[in-house]
Amino acid sequence: MTMKLIVPWVVVAIPLIWGVVQTLINVAKLFQ
Amino acid sequence: MSSFLDKSRTIAPGAYQRFIVPTAALAVHLSIGQAYAFSTFSLPLGRLIGITQPVEGDWTPTDISWIFSIAIAILGLSAALFGRWVERVGPRRAMFVAALCFSAGFFISAVGVWEHQIWLLYMGYGVFGGCGLGIGYISPVSTLIRWFPDRPGMATGMAIMGFGGGALIGAPLSVALMAHFKTPTSLGVAETFLVMGVIYFIYMIFGAFIVRVPAPGWRPQGYIAPTTAKRLVTVGQIEANEALKTPQFYLLWGVLCLNVTAGIGVLSQASPMIQEMFPGLVGPAGAAGFVGLLSLFNMAGRFFWSSTSDYIGRRNTYFVFFLLGILLYGTVPTLGHLGSRVLFVAGCAVILSMYGGGFSTIPAYLRDLFGTMNVGAIHGRLLTAWSAAGLLGPLLVSYIRQYQIEHGVAKAQAYEVTLYIMAGLLFLGFLCNFFITPVKESHFFRGVAANE
Repeated sequence: MTMKLIVPWVVVAIPLIWGVVQTLINVAKLFQ
Repeated sequence: MSSFLDKSRTIAPGAYQRFIVPTAALAVHLSIGQAYAFSTFSLPLGRLIGITQPVEGDWTPTDISWIFSIAIAILGLSAALFGRWVERVGPRRAMFVAALCFSAGFFISAVGVWEHQIWLLYMGYGVFGGCGLGIGYISPVSTLIRWFPDRPGMATGMAIMGFGGGALIGAPLSVALMAHFKTPTSLGVAETFLVMGVIYFIYMIFGAFIVRVPAPGWRPQGYIAPTTAKRLVTVGQIEANEALKTPQFYLLWGVLCLNVTAGIGVLSQASPMIQEMFPGLVGPAGAAGFVGLLSLFNMAGRFFWSSTSDYIGRRNTYFVFFLLGILLYGTVPTLGHLGSRVLFVAGCAVILSMYGGGFSTIPAYLRDLFGTMNVGAIHGRLLTAWSAAGLLGPLLVSYIRQYQIEHGVAKAQAYEVTLYIMAGLLFLGFLCNFFITPVKESHFFRGVAANE
């Protein structure tokens, strides 16, 4: 049951984290 | 295949872990949230023939802006039209149809780019994609509310947060794909549409595959459903058509429409606004960072504010949006004049968090006022407020700005009046929220609820 819970969260978290990191890279340019 | 999509096949077994369901909702919302990043295609679509710069025969910015406007209009219409159908067939079939429509929108648009026929983009991304947006947006909402009767705000906040997060993925993804497919004779837009259509279809189908509805009568462990109504939390159920006969529906429509219009006031002009308010300090790259930061707060606000509403109540949450919003819209121009970049950015970020929070708190507000029976269908109908705001908001903002510039107001100051007018709209939203009272018992459903 634990894996059934973890796997879907990993699947949705990976692209979201990638998107957040890409956005933060842009945000850093705002204060440069 | 058809039986797999049936609602009866999605009923969860006894020991099902309910925290799996938000991931299904996130998979769909992270996909359709790409709509917020459609502007990344605006410049390339405008120079498909000229490649390096627009030439005669290329589509104008106005031609291109209609693609997104049609998609948002169809989002609201399809959510309103198909809300009851989504309730009837369940989340899996609805998510499947949403995936088909959304990806078909990309495929048709790819043909439109190859053939250079703008009407195919209106039909593809606008109409088909818009249907995918509308059906996909409402498909998990009532399911989540039934899974989390103890924390409906948090549950819908998690899903609708995905719609805000979709832009964070969609923007860099489309930029990376266009860079990959770019050649000296093509900007790679059609190929990008094709690949995105495939990626989003797979991702949304993943959501459809894992979504489950609770068994009839299921309740979380230790949860006791309230038997007496709190002031604004009904114990009755109101049918979707009956909800349209109540003043509460129209007041909530006003609350959502005015909150969204005010948020669009900042969102639609964020990039030029910060560049013109801080000339020499913020360039195009910094402005892109500012837009990204606003997207982050738009996403985070969806989860934060709707979760907070579980504790302080929906009506109070909207009072915070409107009162704090009026204060911030009133002071942000002054912060700009003072040259305080950090405070200006912080003020706009909080405004955008409340814009996102307005979307995510609405389903729980509807559930409080109208019960869970037809909450998805009622939510679908309420989303026409978003369409109206999505069409009117940017028009209003650009008209006010243009009017001032034509009458000699400096560019940097032209934003000031716009923001003050947005504060006025928020005051109207405050009044709508103020007049919301519990729904009269005469509207309660007397039969046997079919969706419980």
